Amino acid sequence: MIKKFIIKKEINMEFRNNTSLFLITPTMCVLIILFPILSENRFRVDNDIFLIVELLFLIIFTTLFSIRNPLDEQKLVKELNFGTIKKVDYFYSKTAAEVGIFYPQIILLLILFSGFTNTSLNSSLIHISLAVLFFCLNTIMINLFFQVFTTFSNRFVQFTLIVPIYIGFAILIAPLWLGVNQDISNIYLMMYLGITLVVYSFTNFYLRSAK
Amino acid sequence: MSLIFKSKNLSLGYGNQLVIKNKDISLELSKNYEIIGKNGSGKTTLIMCISNNFIGNTFKSGIERGNNSIIEIGSTPSLVPKMSLIENINYFLHNENLVDENVIEILNKYELYNFKDDLIEEFSSGMVKRSEIAIADIKNPDVLCVDEPVVYLDENGVKLLFDLFSKRESLGKTTILSSQESINALDNVERTINLND
Repeated sequence: MIKKFIIKKEINMEFRNNTSLFLITPTMCVLIILFPILSENRFRVDNDIFLIVELLFLIIFTTLFSIRNPLDEQKLVKELNFGTIKKVDYFYSKTAAEVGIFYPQIILLLILFSGFTNTSLNSSLIHISLAVLFFCLNTIMINLFFQVFTTFSNRFVQFTLIVPIYIGFAILIAPLWLGVNQDISNIYLMMYLGITLVVYSFTNFYLRSAK
Repeated sequence: MSLIFKSKNLSLGYGNQLVIKNKDISLELSKNYEIIGKNGSGKTTLIMCISNNFIGNTFKSGIERGNNSIIEIGSTPSLVPKMSLIENINYFLHNENLVDENVIEILNKYELYNFKDDLIEEFSSGMVKRSEIAIADIKNPDVLCVDEPVVYLDENGVKLLFDLFSKRESLGKTTILSSQESINALDNVERTINLND
Protein backbone atom coordinates (compact mmCIF):
# COMPACT_ATOMS: atom_id res chain seq x y z
CA MET A 1 0.00 0.00 0.00
CA ILE A 2 2.75 2.45 0.93
CA LYS A 3 5.27 2.68 -1.92
CA LYS A 4 8.75 4.04 -1.31
CA PHE A 5 9.11 5.48 -4.81
CA ILE A 6 6.01 7.68 -4.31
CA ILE A 7 7.22 8.87 -0.89
CA LYS A 8 10.62 9.70 -2.39
CA LYS A 9 8.99 11.67 -5.20
CA GLU A 10 6.69 13.59 -2.85
CA ILE A 11 9.55 14.54 -0.52
CA ASN A 12 11.69 15.63 -3.48
CA MET A 13 8.80 17.75 -4.76
CA GLU A 14 8.35 19.35 -1.33
CA PHE A 15 11.98 20.47 -1.25
CA ARG A 16 11.92 21.70 -4.83
CA ASN A 17 8.61 23.55 -4.57
CA ASN A 18 9.94 25.65 -1.66
CA THR A 19 6.46 25.94 -0.15
CA SER A 20 6.13 24.70 3.41
CA LEU A 21 9.77 24.49 4.39
CA PHE A 22 10.88 27.83 3.09
CA LEU A 23 7.72 29.92 3.25
CA ILE A 24 5.20 28.70 5.80
CA THR A 25 7.62 27.71 8.56
CA PRO A 26 9.50 31.05 8.69
CA THR A 27 6.18 32.94 8.51
CA MET A 28 4.86 31.03 11.49
CA CYS A 29 8.12 31.50 13.38
CA VAL A 30 7.93 35.26 12.88
CA LEU A 31 4.29 35.25 14.03
CA ILE A 32 5.17 33.32 17.15
CA ILE A 33 8.09 35.58 17.99
CA LEU A 34 6.11 38.76 17.37
CA PHE A 35 2.83 37.65 18.95
CA PRO A 36 3.69 38.12 22.66
CA ILE A 37 5.43 41.41 22.00
CA LEU A 38 2.50 42.74 20.00
CA SER A 39 -0.20 41.49 22.37
CA GLU A 40 1.27 42.24 25.75
CA ASN A 41 4.53 44.01 25.03
CA ARG A 42 6.55 41.27 26.77
CA PHE A 43 7.73 37.69 26.26
CA ARG A 44 5.09 36.24 28.53
CA VAL A 45 1.49 35.36 27.65
CA ASP A 46 -1.21 34.88 30.28
CA ASN A 47 -2.24 31.27 30.79
CA ASP A 48 -5.90 31.88 29.96
CA ILE A 49 -5.18 32.90 26.40
CA PHE A 50 -2.14 30.68 25.90
CA LEU A 51 -4.16 27.62 24.90
CA ILE A 52 -6.52 29.46 22.55
CA VAL A 53 -3.64 31.16 20.77
CA GLU A 54 -1.64 27.93 20.50
CA LEU A 55 -4.65 26.15 19.00
CA LEU A 56 -5.24 29.09 16.68
CA PHE A 57 -1.62 28.97 15.47
CA LEU A 58 -1.89 25.22 15.02
CA ILE A 59 -5.03 25.62 12.89
CA ILE A 60 -3.50 28.47 10.85
CA PHE A 61 -0.31 26.48 10.28
CA THR A 62 -2.20 23.32 9.28
CA THR A 63 -4.45 25.29 6.93
CA LEU A 64 -1.45 26.99 5.29
CA PHE A 65 0.20 23.60 4.90
CA SER A 66 -2.96 22.07 3.40
CA ILE A 67 -3.54 24.76 0.81
CA ARG A 68 0.12 25.25 -0.11
CA ASN A 69 0.00 23.17 -3.27
CA PRO A 70 -3.48 22.01 -4.35
CA LEU A 71 -3.56 18.94 -6.58
CA ASP A 72 -4.76 19.35 -10.15
CA GLU A 73 -7.19 16.46 -10.66
CA GLN A 74 -6.58 16.15 -14.42
CA LYS A 75 -2.78 16.20 -14.02
CA LEU A 76 -2.93 13.73 -11.15
CA VAL A 77 -5.11 11.26 -13.10
CA LYS A 78 -2.77 11.49 -16.10
CA GLU A 79 0.32 11.02 -13.94
CA LEU A 80 -1.13 8.00 -12.11
CA ASN A 81 -2.33 6.36 -15.33
CA PHE A 82 0.98 7.03 -17.09
CA GLY A 83 2.79 5.34 -14.23
CA THR A 84 0.10 2.65 -13.76
CA ILE A 85 -0.04 3.69 -10.11
CA LYS A 86 -3.14 2.73 -8.12
CA LYS A 87 -5.01 5.55 -6.42
CA VAL A 88 -5.00 3.65 -3.13
CA ASP A 89 -1.18 3.34 -3.23
CA TYR A 90 -0.81 6.99 -4.13
CA PHE A 91 -3.17 8.09 -1.35
CA TYR A 92 -1.44 6.21 1.48
CA SER A 93 2.09 6.90 0.20
CA LYS A 94 1.33 10.61 -0.08
CA THR A 95 -0.23 10.53 3.40
CA ALA A 96 2.96 8.94 4.76
CA ALA A 97 5.14 11.50 2.95
CA GLU A 98 3.04 14.43 4.19
CA VAL A 99 3.13 13.15 7.78
CA GLY A 100 6.92 12.88 7.45
CA ILE A 101 7.08 16.51 6.29
CA PHE A 102 4.40 17.98 8.54
CA TYR A 103 4.91 16.24 11.90
CA PRO A 104 8.43 17.59 12.59
CA GLN A 105 7.24 21.05 11.58
CA ILE A 106 4.33 20.98 14.03
CA ILE A 107 6.63 19.79 16.81
CA LEU A 108 9.00 22.64 15.92
CA LEU A 109 6.08 25.07 15.97
CA LEU A 110 5.03 23.91 19.45
CA ILE A 111 8.59 24.10 20.79
CA LEU A 112 8.99 27.62 19.39
CA PHE A 113 5.64 28.68 20.81
CA SER A 114 6.48 27.28 24.21
CA GLY A 115 9.95 28.84 24.14
CA PHE A 116 9.02 32.31 22.99
CA THR A 117 5.97 32.63 25.21
CA ASN A 118 7.71 31.23 28.30
CA THR A 119 5.00 28.65 28.80
CA SER A 120 5.86 25.17 29.98
CA LEU A 121 4.20 21.86 29.08
CA ASN A 122 1.27 20.90 31.30
CA SER A 123 1.10 17.32 30.10
CA SER A 124 3.60 14.55 29.42
CA LEU A 125 5.70 14.79 26.27
CA ILE A 126 4.54 11.36 25.07
CA HIS A 127 0.85 12.33 25.35
CA ILE A 128 1.37 15.58 23.49
CA SER A 129 3.49 13.88 20.77
CA LEU A 130 0.87 11.16 20.28
CA ALA A 131 -2.02 13.64 20.20
CA VAL A 132 -0.18 15.76 17.62
CA LEU A 133 0.59 12.66 15.55
CA PHE A 134 -3.12 11.75 15.49
CA PHE A 135 -3.93 15.36 14.60
CA CYS A 136 -1.41 15.22 11.70
CA LEU A 137 -2.73 11.93 10.36
CA ASN A 138 -6.37 13.04 10.49
CA THR A 139 -5.87 16.47 8.95
CA ILE A 140 -3.67 15.10 6.15
CA MET A 141 -6.06 12.26 5.29
CA ILE A 142 -9.07 14.61 5.28
CA ASN A 143 -7.22 17.16 3.15
CA LEU A 144 -6.04 14.55 0.63
CA PHE A 145 -9.51 13.02 0.51
CA PHE A 146 -10.99 16.39 -0.41
CA GLN A 147 -8.34 16.96 -3.05
CA VAL A 148 -8.28 13.51 -4.66
CA PHE A 149 -11.94 12.52 -4.53
CA THR A 150 -13.96 15.69 -4.65
CA THR A 151 -14.10 18.67 -6.95
CA PHE A 152 -13.57 20.92 -3.90
CA SER A 153 -9.91 21.20 -4.72
CA ASN A 154 -9.39 24.93 -5.09
CA ARG A 155 -7.89 26.92 -2.25
CA PHE A 156 -11.03 28.86 -1.28
CA VAL A 157 -13.32 25.80 -1.06
CA GLN A 158 -10.57 23.86 0.72
CA PHE A 159 -10.26 26.69 3.22
CA THR A 160 -13.97 27.04 3.97
CA LEU A 161 -14.66 23.30 4.20
CA ILE A 162 -11.52 22.08 5.88
CA VAL A 163 -10.96 24.72 8.57
CA PRO A 164 -14.09 23.76 10.61
CA ILE A 165 -12.91 20.12 10.53
CA TYR A 166 -9.42 21.17 11.66
CA ILE A 167 -10.97 23.21 14.51
CA GLY A 168 -12.70 20.03 15.68
CA PHE A 169 -9.47 18.04 15.59
CA ALA A 170 -7.54 20.84 17.33
CA ILE A 171 -10.10 21.20 20.13
CA LEU A 172 -9.61 17.52 20.93
CA ILE A 173 -5.95 18.26 21.68
CA ALA A 174 -6.81 21.06 24.11
CA PRO A 175 -7.50 18.94 27.22
CA LEU A 176 -4.22 17.10 26.70
CA TRP A 177 -2.35 20.38 26.62
CA LEU A 178 -4.25 21.69 29.63
CA GLY A 179 -2.75 18.93 31.68
CA VAL A 180 -5.70 16.82 32.74
CA ASN A 181 -4.90 13.81 34.91
CA GLN A 182 -3.38 10.62 33.50
CA ASP A 183 -6.65 8.63 33.27
CA ILE A 184 -8.55 11.34 31.43
CA SER A 185 -5.54 11.89 29.13
CA ASN A 186 -5.63 8.20 28.23
CA ILE A 187 -9.35 8.41 27.48
CA TYR A 188 -8.78 11.41 25.23
CA LEU A 189 -5.95 9.60 23.42
CA MET A 190 -8.18 6.54 22.92
CA MET A 191 -10.88 8.84 21.54
CA TYR A 192 -8.37 10.35 19.14
CA LEU A 193 -7.20 6.89 18.09
CA GLY A 194 -10.83 5.93 17.46
CA ILE A 195 -11.43 9.00 15.32
CA THR A 196 -8.22 8.26 13.36
CA LEU A 197 -9.42 4.71 12.73
CA VAL A 198 -12.83 5.98 11.59
CA VAL A 199 -11.21 8.45 9.15
CA TYR A 200 -8.84 5.72 7.91
CA SER A 201 -11.71 3.22 7.48
CA PHE A 202 -13.84 5.74 5.61
CA THR A 203 -11.05 6.73 3.19
CA ASN A 204 -10.08 3.08 2.75
CA PHE A 205 -13.66 2.07 1.98
CA TYR A 206 -13.97 4.95 -0.48
CA LEU A 207 -10.63 4.13 -2.15
CA ARG A 208 -11.53 0.46 -2.58
CA SER A 209 -15.01 1.13 -3.93
CA ALA A 210 -14.06 4.06 -6.21
CA LYS A 211 -13.46 3.16 -9.86
CA MET B 1 -10.43 -11.54 -28.06
CA SER B 2 -9.62 -9.55 -24.94
CA LEU B 3 -11.55 -6.34 -24.51
CA ILE B 4 -9.91 -2.94 -24.14
CA PHE B 5 -12.91 -0.62 -24.23
CA LYS B 6 -16.55 -0.96 -25.19
CA SER B 7 -19.47 1.43 -25.19
CA LYS B 8 -22.80 1.60 -26.97
CA ASN B 9 -24.05 5.14 -27.54
CA LEU B 10 -20.93 6.72 -26.12
CA SER B 11 -21.58 10.35 -25.28
CA LEU B 12 -18.91 12.54 -23.72
CA GLY B 13 -18.87 16.16 -22.77
CA TYR B 14 -17.99 18.86 -20.31
CA GLY B 15 -20.90 20.03 -18.15
CA ASN B 16 -23.95 19.78 -20.37
CA GLN B 17 -22.03 20.41 -23.57
CA LEU B 18 -21.72 17.28 -25.70
CA VAL B 19 -18.44 16.72 -27.55
CA ILE B 20 -19.05 13.13 -28.70
CA LYS B 21 -22.58 11.93 -29.33
CA ASN B 22 -23.92 8.37 -29.55
CA LYS B 23 -20.83 6.58 -30.89
CA ASP B 24 -20.63 2.78 -30.80
CA ILE B 25 -17.06 1.88 -29.97
CA SER B 26 -15.56 -1.54 -29.31
CA LEU B 27 -11.78 -1.96 -29.10
CA GLU B 28 -9.97 -5.28 -28.74
CA LEU B 29 -6.45 -6.19 -27.73
CA SER B 30 -3.76 -6.91 -30.38
CA LYS B 31 -5.46 -4.68 -32.94
CA ASN B 32 -4.64 -1.12 -33.96
CA TYR B 33 -7.04 1.76 -34.23
CA GLU B 34 -7.03 5.29 -35.60
CA ILE B 35 -9.20 8.21 -34.60
CA ILE B 36 -9.45 11.01 -37.12
CA GLY B 37 -11.36 14.28 -37.06
CA LYS B 38 -11.04 17.98 -37.51
CA ASN B 39 -10.36 20.46 -34.69
CA GLY B 40 -12.98 20.32 -31.96
CA SER B 41 -14.45 17.01 -33.15
CA GLY B 42 -13.55 15.28 -29.86
CA LYS B 43 -10.41 13.27 -30.75
CA THR B 44 -8.57 14.20 -27.56
CA THR B 45 -11.69 13.67 -25.44
CA LEU B 46 -12.22 10.20 -26.93
CA ILE B 47 -8.59 9.10 -26.58
CA MET B 48 -8.57 10.38 -22.98
CA CYS B 49 -11.74 8.42 -22.28
CA ILE B 50 -10.25 5.24 -23.78
CA SER B 51 -7.10 5.66 -21.69
CA ASN B 52 -9.18 6.38 -18.55
CA ASN B 53 -7.83 9.93 -18.28
CA PHE B 54 -11.11 11.68 -19.05
CA ILE B 55 -12.53 13.96 -16.38
CA GLY B 56 -15.89 15.15 -17.57
CA ASN B 57 -19.43 13.94 -18.12
CA THR B 58 -19.91 10.44 -19.60
CA PHE B 59 -23.74 10.71 -19.71
CA LYS B 60 -24.31 7.10 -18.55
CA SER B 61 -22.58 5.69 -21.62
CA GLY B 62 -22.27 2.20 -20.11
CA ILE B 63 -18.51 1.92 -20.54
CA GLU B 64 -16.86 -1.49 -20.17
CA ARG B 65 -13.11 -1.79 -19.77
CA GLY B 66 -10.69 -4.70 -19.90
CA ASN B 67 -7.95 -5.19 -17.36
CA ASN B 68 -5.06 -4.02 -19.56
CA SER B 69 -2.19 -1.63 -18.96
CA ILE B 70 -2.83 1.56 -20.94
CA ILE B 71 -0.52 4.52 -21.41
CA GLU B 72 -1.53 7.75 -23.08
CA ILE B 73 0.89 10.18 -24.65
CA GLY B 74 -1.37 13.17 -24.92
CA SER B 75 -1.43 16.81 -25.79
CA THR B 76 -0.43 17.71 -22.23
CA PRO B 77 2.61 15.96 -20.72
CA SER B 78 2.26 13.41 -17.92
CA LEU B 79 5.82 13.80 -16.64
CA VAL B 80 6.59 15.58 -13.37
CA PRO B 81 8.16 18.93 -14.35
CA LYS B 82 10.18 19.47 -11.16
CA MET B 83 12.00 16.13 -11.50
CA SER B 84 14.85 15.16 -13.79
CA LEU B 85 14.35 12.72 -16.64
CA ILE B 86 16.04 9.87 -14.78
CA GLU B 87 13.97 10.61 -11.65
CA ASN B 88 10.83 10.54 -13.79
CA ILE B 89 11.90 7.21 -15.30
CA ASN B 90 12.53 5.74 -11.85
CA TYR B 91 9.18 7.08 -10.61
CA PHE B 92 7.13 5.81 -13.54
CA LEU B 93 8.92 2.45 -13.50
CA HIS B 94 8.19 2.14 -9.76
CA ASN B 95 11.86 1.96 -8.84
CA GLU B 96 13.85 4.01 -6.39
CA ASN B 97 17.27 4.06 -7.96
CA LEU B 98 17.49 2.30 -11.24
CA VAL B 99 19.71 3.00 -14.17
CA ASP B 100 20.02 -0.43 -15.75
CA GLU B 101 21.40 -1.31 -19.16
CA ASN B 102 17.98 -1.42 -20.81
CA VAL B 103 17.20 2.13 -19.65
CA ILE B 104 20.59 3.43 -20.81
CA GLU B 105 20.15 1.72 -24.18
CA ILE B 106 16.72 3.28 -24.70
CA LEU B 107 17.88 6.72 -23.54
CA ASN B 108 20.71 6.51 -26.07
CA LYS B 109 18.31 5.36 -28.78
CA TYR B 110 16.08 8.40 -28.17
CA GLU B 111 19.15 10.69 -27.85
CA LEU B 112 18.20 11.57 -24.27
CA TYR B 113 21.12 10.12 -22.30
CA ASN B 114 22.99 13.44 -22.06
CA PHE B 115 19.85 15.10 -20.68
CA LYS B 116 18.99 12.45 -18.11
CA ASP B 117 19.87 14.67 -15.14
CA ASP B 118 18.08 17.79 -16.45
CA LEU B 119 14.72 18.86 -15.09
CA ILE B 120 11.73 18.18 -17.32
CA GLU B 121 10.56 21.81 -16.92
CA GLU B 122 13.72 22.86 -18.78
CA PHE B 123 12.93 20.58 -21.75
CA SER B 124 11.34 21.73 -25.01
CA SER B 125 7.94 20.27 -25.98
CA GLY B 126 9.66 17.95 -28.46
CA MET B 127 12.07 16.67 -25.81
CA VAL B 128 9.21 16.08 -23.36
CA LYS B 129 7.37 14.07 -26.01
CA ARG B 130 10.52 12.08 -26.80
CA SER B 131 10.94 11.37 -23.08
CA GLU B 132 7.35 10.13 -22.82
CA ILE B 133 7.85 7.91 -25.86
CA ALA B 134 11.06 6.52 -24.32
CA ILE B 135 9.23 5.72 -21.06
CA ALA B 136 6.39 4.10 -23.03
CA ASP B 137 9.02 2.05 -24.89
CA ILE B 138 10.55 0.86 -21.60
CA LYS B 139 7.18 0.13 -19.98
CA ASN B 140 5.81 -1.58 -23.11
CA PRO B 141 2.12 -1.38 -22.10
CA ASP B 142 -0.67 -3.54 -23.62
CA VAL B 143 -2.24 -0.43 -25.14
CA LEU B 144 -0.48 2.76 -26.21
CA CYS B 145 -2.67 5.76 -27.05
CA VAL B 146 -0.97 8.66 -28.82
CA ASP B 147 -2.76 11.94 -29.43
CA GLU B 148 -1.40 13.87 -32.42
CA PRO B 149 1.65 11.56 -32.79
CA VAL B 150 3.91 13.73 -34.93
CA VAL B 151 3.24 17.09 -33.28
CA TYR B 152 6.41 18.61 -31.68
CA LEU B 153 8.66 15.86 -33.09
CA ASP B 154 11.46 16.44 -35.58
CA GLU B 155 12.17 14.08 -38.50
CA ASN B 156 14.31 11.73 -36.41
CA GLY B 157 11.76 11.76 -33.58
CA VAL B 158 8.98 10.79 -35.99
CA LYS B 159 11.13 7.93 -37.33
CA LEU B 160 11.81 6.65 -33.79
CA LEU B 161 8.09 6.84 -32.98
CA PHE B 162 7.13 4.94 -36.15
CA ASP B 163 9.80 2.31 -35.32
CA LEU B 164 8.18 1.91 -31.90
CA PHE B 165 4.78 1.39 -33.56
CA SER B 166 6.30 -1.30 -35.84
CA LYS B 167 7.93 -3.01 -32.85
CA ARG B 168 4.62 -3.00 -30.99
CA GLU B 169 2.78 -4.45 -34.00
CA SER B 170 5.29 -7.28 -34.21
CA LEU B 171 4.75 -7.97 -30.48
CA GLY B 172 0.96 -8.04 -30.93
CA LYS B 173 0.41 -4.93 -28.79
CA THR B 174 -2.33 -2.39 -29.46
CA THR B 175 -1.66 1.15 -30.61
CA ILE B 176 -4.36 3.81 -30.88
CA LEU B 177 -3.58 7.03 -32.70
CA SER B 178 -5.58 10.22 -33.06
CA SER B 179 -4.87 12.93 -35.60
CA GLN B 180 -6.63 15.23 -38.03
CA GLU B 181 -6.09 12.79 -40.88
CA SER B 182 -4.56 9.35 -41.22
CA ILE B 183 -0.76 9.52 -40.97
CA ASN B 184 -0.17 5.93 -42.21
CA ALA B 185 2.02 5.09 -39.24
CA LEU B 186 0.49 1.66 -38.65
CA ASP B 187 0.63 -1.27 -41.08
CA ASN B 188 -2.59 -2.91 -39.95
CA VAL B 189 -5.46 -0.75 -38.74
CA GLU B 190 -8.55 -2.64 -37.56
CA ARG B 191 -10.85 0.37 -37.59
CA THR B 192 -10.64 4.08 -38.29
CA ILE B 193 -13.06 6.02 -36.11
CA ASN B 194 -14.00 9.07 -38.11
CA LEU B 195 -15.36 11.83 -35.87
CA ASN B 196 -16.17 14.06 -38.85
CA ASP B 197 -19.28 11.96 -39.62
